[in-house]
Amino acid sequence: MLATEDSTPQNEIVNRLDSAVSEVFEMMLERSCDPLDGDVSIVDGRIMARIQFTGAITGECILYASQATAEVTAEALLGAVSQPCDPMVDDAIGELCNMIAGGWKNKLEHPQASCLISVPAVTREGLVGLEGKFGTKFSRTYSFQGNVFGILLAF
Amino acid sequence: MRKVIERALRQAGLELTEVLQASNGEEALQALRDDGGKPHPLALILSDINMPIMDGLQFLEQRRDEKLAVGVPVVMITTEGSEPLVLRAISAGAQGYICKPFTAEQVKARVLPLLRVA
Repeated sequence: MLATEDSTPQNEIVNRLDSAVSEVFEMMLERSCDPLDGDVSIVDGRIMARIQFTGAITGECILYASQATAEVTAEALLGAVSQPCDPMVDDAIGELCNMIAGGWKNKLEHPQASCLISVPAVTREGLVGLEGKFGTKFSRTYSFQGNVFGILLAF
Repeated sequence: MRKVIERALRQAGLELTEVLQASNGEEALQALRDDGGKPHPLALILSDINMPIMDGLQFLEQRRDEKLAVGVPVVMITTEGSEPLVLRAISAGAQGYICKPFTAEQVKARVLPLLRVA
């Protein structure tokens, strides 16, 4: 279990997510990425990547961002400038979600850490329709170099 | 992820003369079957575990059963770092394991010792 100042189950979940996001950005994108306090509106036209948890945990990890943020993220991850409608942007956002969800899962204790994660699914349908699907949700917004994206963990 | 891996290998100083890419295990098996008659065999196989259609573990096991690319080292790159999966990958023929996220240095450290010197 991670050592945290406030070790309520909810804060443990969020702290593990913050840690997973930070690790992915520092190692794969060589950038720092910090959580933002409070609700932050992310522009419409968002791209969304989903990873499903099954087995010991049933739920989803959803990463959502504007197209502009998605393109900047893809460029940072791939080290190349993305082109308009570049499929690499979808791949990069899906992989980012995969690594964050996997990193978060790997920080869980047994038996939750043994849950399986799906391959990422990337859509542009936004979060509509997901409300109410799961009972417990943790929403978190992050920023790297002024680019904002959100992550929703739902169980 | 394939582009990310390719970038990491280049950052590690490897000169990639030819890269066969596949988006799932089935495509990878087919690429190995098609590549069987080439005079310059593969130097390395890198595979994710979490893939659609056929995952990396199934790919490894099928590759072993079909005796494809025998002797070519395999490194798994994945977020799935649990012990049972690692053991299954090793028993199916994986020589290395890299957990995502990773740095280019980590890729270099895991991959270079496995590469055959030309």
